[in-house]
Amino acid sequence: MNYSFNFNAVSFEPLLKGLIVTLELTLAANAIGLTFGFLVALLIMSRIAAIRLPAMLSVEFFRCTPAIVQIVWFFYCVPMLFDVYLDSMTMGILALGLNLTAFNAEAYRAAIQAVPREQLDAGIALGLNPFQRVLYIVLPTAFRASIPVLLTNGIGIFQQSALVAIVAIQDLMYQGKSLATETYRPIETFTVVALIYFAVSFPVTQIVGYLERRRQLLMS
Amino acid sequence: MTMSFSPPLVKVESLHKSYGPNIQVLKGLDIEMKPGERVVVIGPSGGGKSTLLRVIMGLEKIDSGSITFGGKPYISSAGRDKKTIIDTEVRRSIGMVFQHYTLFPHLSVLQNLILAPCKVRGEKKEIAIKRAQALLERFGLAAKANSYPAQLSGGQKQRVAIARALMLDPKLMLFDEVTSALDPELVAEVEQVILQLAAQNMPMMIVTHDMWFARNIASRVIFCAGGAVVEDGPPEQVLGSPKEERTRDFIDRVFHIRQ
Repeated sequence: MNYSFNFNAVSFEPLLKGLIVTLELTLAANAIGLTFGFLVALLIMSRIAAIRLPAMLSVEFFRCTPAIVQIVWFFYCVPMLFDVYLDSMTMGILALGLNLTAFNAEAYRAAIQAVPREQLDAGIALGLNPFQRVLYIVLPTAFRASIPVLLTNGIGIFQQSALVAIVAIQDLMYQGKSLATETYRPIETFTVVALIYFAVSFPVTQIVGYLERRRQLLMS
Repeated sequence: MTMSFSPPLVKVESLHKSYGPNIQVLKGLDIEMKPGERVVVIGPSGGGKSTLLRVIMGLEKIDSGSITFGGKPYISSAGRDKKTIIDTEVRRSIGMVFQHYTLFPHLSVLQNLILAPCKVRGEKKEIAIKRAQALLERFGLAAKANSYPAQLSGGQKQRVAIARALMLDPKLMLFDEVTSALDPELVAEVEQVILQLAAQNMPMMIVTHDMWFARNIASRVIFCAGGAVVEDGPPEQVLGSPKEERTRDFIDRVFHIRQ
């Protein structure tokens, strides 16, 4: 292969602008996913089937369909079905946020249900009422247990957000594509794009690993 | 007979309890415990000892029977659907320590101790902290007040769990195999603390497999098997020269294993 690399052709300015859009998408989607994920987790643990079943079904819908289909569906079907016209950034945030909500709801649910029964027995023996047992024992323990999974899901959305490029949101991936077309340097451009995604994701996965090791120590 | 004028501290009457339709754990159990007594419950695994303690703590539903505490109705089963009714006000005067520590891992030792006094009784935080520090001091744990459970040994965790229960000034303490999960060299420090409480006349009901401890702490021993009381008497009798054959078998086997 006698390809000569020329990384000078890759200008960072548009990529940086794209990265900022990607980070905005990620942060906003995480804000939605972290809060609504918790509320949905409460719904899927409800004793009332009329609340639990629809919540479970919608979570499974988001977990069992490709994110790219969800994004496209949001862009084309929501405006037509509901006559709602939002700018593409808002649509992107909503699509990614709802996807993350489904995954985070499962993370919260698993963590809440993993709180050992003995902890609750101890709470009863200490005279705490059901509300206090949830507030002071279940939730603090569950929140800590769910942090590694929430972070993993959150950084997953950072990567998934590249999909919104196909609906013309000017994120990192979109800027990369334009740059590659303009410069005829797809190898260099997409290598740099990949490295930028990696540079943001890698530290977070390391933090997750650290938190998990620390947690194992704390729980032993 | 000297205490016949005061009501029993705990009175368990024909207590039935099963897990699911097929596993009957307690089959009509009767126990009367006088104030100031230290009752040790021994018996084979699956005989209902731990279940009895859990029922008295109000952690389990019952099928039928009743329990009174200090002469007041505490737990009963009523109505056509046999709902278990537990007086939570009465329940608060009972403390329990479990086999597996059950300290709250996200709270420091001190926070573990003051959580219930502050939240349940609305005690002022400064006062609760003072009481907690005094208790920790007494149990040789003063230096551990700001440690987290994961930083403690099993014996320390169990002593903290005892201190946490005592913060609510219980009128009865339940100990469910509190040394079973401990390394052998840590058992003594926990038993010392319970003996200390015994010396102050704290009424207690203890489930243990440690016959040395049973003999040292009990004012009365109950041998429980097959979901009912088989033998009930002073420790010298039940542990030393049991009347019932099943008790004798059990004691023989336990001591044989130890030799």
